[in-house]
Amino acid sequence: MNGSVLRILFLHELKMLVRARRTVVMAIVLPAVIMPLMLYAQKYSADRRERLLTGTVYRFAVSGESADRIRRLINQTRRSIDLEQGEEVESLRQFRFVEATVVDARASLDKDDIQFYLEAAGPTVDVVYRGDRIGSDMAHSRMMQLLRLARQRDSQALLADRGFAADPKGIFAATESNIATNGQVTGSMVGRFITLFLVMMLFTGGAVAAMDIIAGEKERGTLETLLTTAAGRPEIVAAKQLAITSVAIVITLMQGLNFLIYIKLKVVALPKNFDLQLPTGMALTLLVLFIPLAATIASVLLMISAYAKTYKEAQMYFFPVYLVSLVPALASVMPGISLRSAIAFVPLANVSVAAREILMGRPDAIMIVVTFGVMAATATYLMRTSARLLGREDIIVRAHSEPAEFIGGAALFEKRVLRWFALMWVVTFAVAMNVPSLATFRRQLLFNEVAVMVGATLLMLWVYRLNAKEALSLRPVKPVVWLAILFAIPSGNLTALGIFQLVNKVIPAPQQLLERFAQDVIPKGMPQWQLLLYIAVLPAICEELAFRGMLLSGLRRKFRPVALIIGIGLIFGLFHVTLYRIAPTAALGMILTAIAMMTGSVFPGMLLHAGNNALSVLTGNLYSLDVVRWWHFLAAFTIFALSLWLIYRNRVGTFSPQRH
Amino acid sequence: MSAPVVVSNLAKTFYDEGRGQIKAVDSISFECHEGQIFGLLGANGAGKTTTLRMLSTILTPTAGTASIMGHDVVKDPEGVRKNLGFYSATTALYPRLTTRETIEFFARINQYPSERVPERVEYLINRFGLHKYADARIEKLSSGMKQKVSIARTVAHNPAILIFDEPTVGLDVLNALDVQETISELRSEGKTIIFSTHIMSEAERLCDRIAIIHGGRILASNTLAGLRESTGQHYLEDIFVLYVKAGLETV
Repeated sequence: MNGSVLRILFLHELKMLVRARRTVVMAIVLPAVIMPLMLYAQKYSADRRERLLTGTVYRFAVSGESADRIRRLINQTRRSIDLEQGEEVESLRQFRFVEATVVDARASLDKDDIQFYLEAAGPTVDVVYRGDRIGSDMAHSRMMQLLRLARQRDSQALLADRGFAADPKGIFAATESNIATNGQVTGSMVGRFITLFLVMMLFTGGAVAAMDIIAGEKERGTLETLLTTAAGRPEIVAAKQLAITSVAIVITLMQGLNFLIYIKLKVVALPKNFDLQLPTGMALTLLVLFIPLAATIASVLLMISAYAKTYKEAQMYFFPVYLVSLVPALASVMPGISLRSAIAFVPLANVSVAAREILMGRPDAIMIVVTFGVMAATATYLMRTSARLLGREDIIVRAHSEPAEFIGGAALFEKRVLRWFALMWVVTFAVAMNVPSLATFRRQLLFNEVAVMVGATLLMLWVYRLNAKEALSLRPVKPVVWLAILFAIPSGNLTALGIFQLVNKVIPAPQQLLERFAQDVIPKGMPQWQLLLYIAVLPAICEELAFRGMLLSGLRRKFRPVALIIGIGLIFGLFHVTLYRIAPTAALGMILTAIAMMTGSVFPGMLLHAGNNALSVLTGNLYSLDVVRWWHFLAAFTIFALSLWLIYRNRVGTFSPQRH
Repeated sequence: MSAPVVVSNLAKTFYDEGRGQIKAVDSISFECHEGQIFGLLGANGAGKTTTLRMLSTILTPTAGTASIMGHDVVKDPEGVRKNLGFYSATTALYPRLTTRETIEFFARINQYPSERVPERVEYLINRFGLHKYADARIEKLSSGMKQKVSIARTVAHNPAILIFDEPTVGLDVLNALDVQETISELRSEGKTIIFSTHIMSEAERLCDRIAIIHGGRILASNTLAGLRESTGQHYLEDIFVLYVKAGLETV
């Protein structure tokens, strides 16, 4: 990266922005001027409303057989609250009610002669009002408040009259004591919303520069001029990114400062007992997180601008991306989410939760470093993607120069297969784990296996016009392979158990974890045949079609056999949700991939997969560590190795020397 | 010593939704010699712009190689662009910069020695008669003036190689002649120039060597005298038609 070129381009971008007078006025000056006006108007309207409501005399009528009793109660209560203290009685005292004498209460209410009337019949008092009139609505709610108070006091008086010995007020008193300081309460409140506020400000502020910065240049033709200069694409993109970040930060600071001035001028009222304590260390830690946040948002905006062909198109993309970006920033509002979890790896959500924890005085140093790293990596990745987008030739010419993009089919499938699996992974996590109707074991399995695995497989076959037999490796195999698989099932299962036992001696697995594992894999109370169907048959068919069928056929031309085995095995492991299941499933995935490659068929893997899972179900407690002796393990390992060797000897697939 | 611009079997294939696979440039080869103007003469869609865009590294060749001052367009694109000034009708100027700022920006961005930039800017302002408009924003200038500023920004970093892709498109006769004169002067200053046009008179007047390009292929490449001799025709228009027709018949 050439620093001097970067500086020239950065200053150039800022100069271009500052000289766009209309943009500066509309996006920076106008909001700064309008904001106090809006706030003042809002304050004025609220004050006026309060004055009007408290200054007005509210007329009401009382009718019905119990009218006198109600009148007496209301008057008594109003007299008693004149002598009391407290928020509730204060608001009631400000209201001036006057009873009017009317002939027809309903007609008077309709004509607005009275604001409401009380229909007192027996033990019930009905407050009749007009919800479409502010005065009537307001007065009725205050009267309801007054009546509730009157009822409470009437009950207490009744109890005292009937000889209840104790003071009715002292029967059950509930008080509250908040041991958090005002500073802590404020920190918690600010921490919940600060990231959301910043994301909103940075997005809208950065958008002022971003929409024009690449999309506008494409439209005007200046991008082609710039691309023919000696400046490298990384410098061009970095300068643009820096410009967006700077503009976003400056506008956010200006808006923040603007807001502080109105607070100082008392145009904006802060909540009661607001006491934000921000020691230097805390402020610096927040800054460490907010800078990569600003950079990430700038990179997102840059990507929109790089992807869009015109300024208008960029504006069109902005709003949905903005809304989607607000969702992770809301993580801090959700209860029970801590930074020491997978949330630390979700960009924006991690900053949101980290900021809350810092402001609450509970910073987690290690996870803050992780958050910083994740955000920095995200910003860099998005920037690199923008640079790649800038390198796309369809910026300059309309046609594609990439045959795969144009021809589609298998060539494009090979380019996109990993994106499909990334999407499937996201769906597996996001949908299956968060949709309440999928919460049961059966439904979740059906959704993951049938909808996600088979659904995506069929969709890929259709979208890329693939030959199902070829893409899914639906080929028959030699009988000897079946024989080898039959031997490999029990021996493989036992070998895995042996390895587990061996590893357990070096790094003992917590008992709780083992129980959780067994519970997760084998739910209690399910009939055996259902267990076999859901745990053995269904995953074996669906997962083999997806991983050893689609994924393997999409990647096999790009990678060497060993990389394929490791890569597909790891991806397979990543789909098995909890962290402690990844390693064993990844190992199984590697073996299944190797078998699919050697046999050129998905079927032997299906049998091994089903057999292995079925054995786990049938043997019940999978990891009872005292079952296996060393010679069991040795025999099983030998048989398993021989089975694999037999498959290798009869190989027809990628490992076959004829193919290479 | 090899020529400053060497193009060997350069090809570019596009895939268009409507037209399918298009060989925009089909294995062309040529060399441009120092201090000469090499003309690419062809009708619209002949492959001139695609060739020049590959030379300026905006597009990546599908096959073949090309080098500018010894720098390969694929392996060392930045080295190529440092030695190159690229001008085309589609390379616009920043409307909110002044003439002076435009020339200065392009000189600096193309890494012209920093201490000599002010001197170079003043020289180019005088050289192209831009003093009156030196501090006016580009958006306020007429098309003719913008054209001059565009040429000035193309040569801002004093590159050895200049590419002019149909520079007179959309200009009136006087402005077009002005541009031709400027290009001719730049040759006198020792620049190696690749000039693309579909206007025969321009090619006749300016080019030391002319390559007739059609359907992405170079049908003939020679001096004007050489082309006349090999075809027996005097006017370039006749020579061009003859080659194109012969090319089509061959196809």
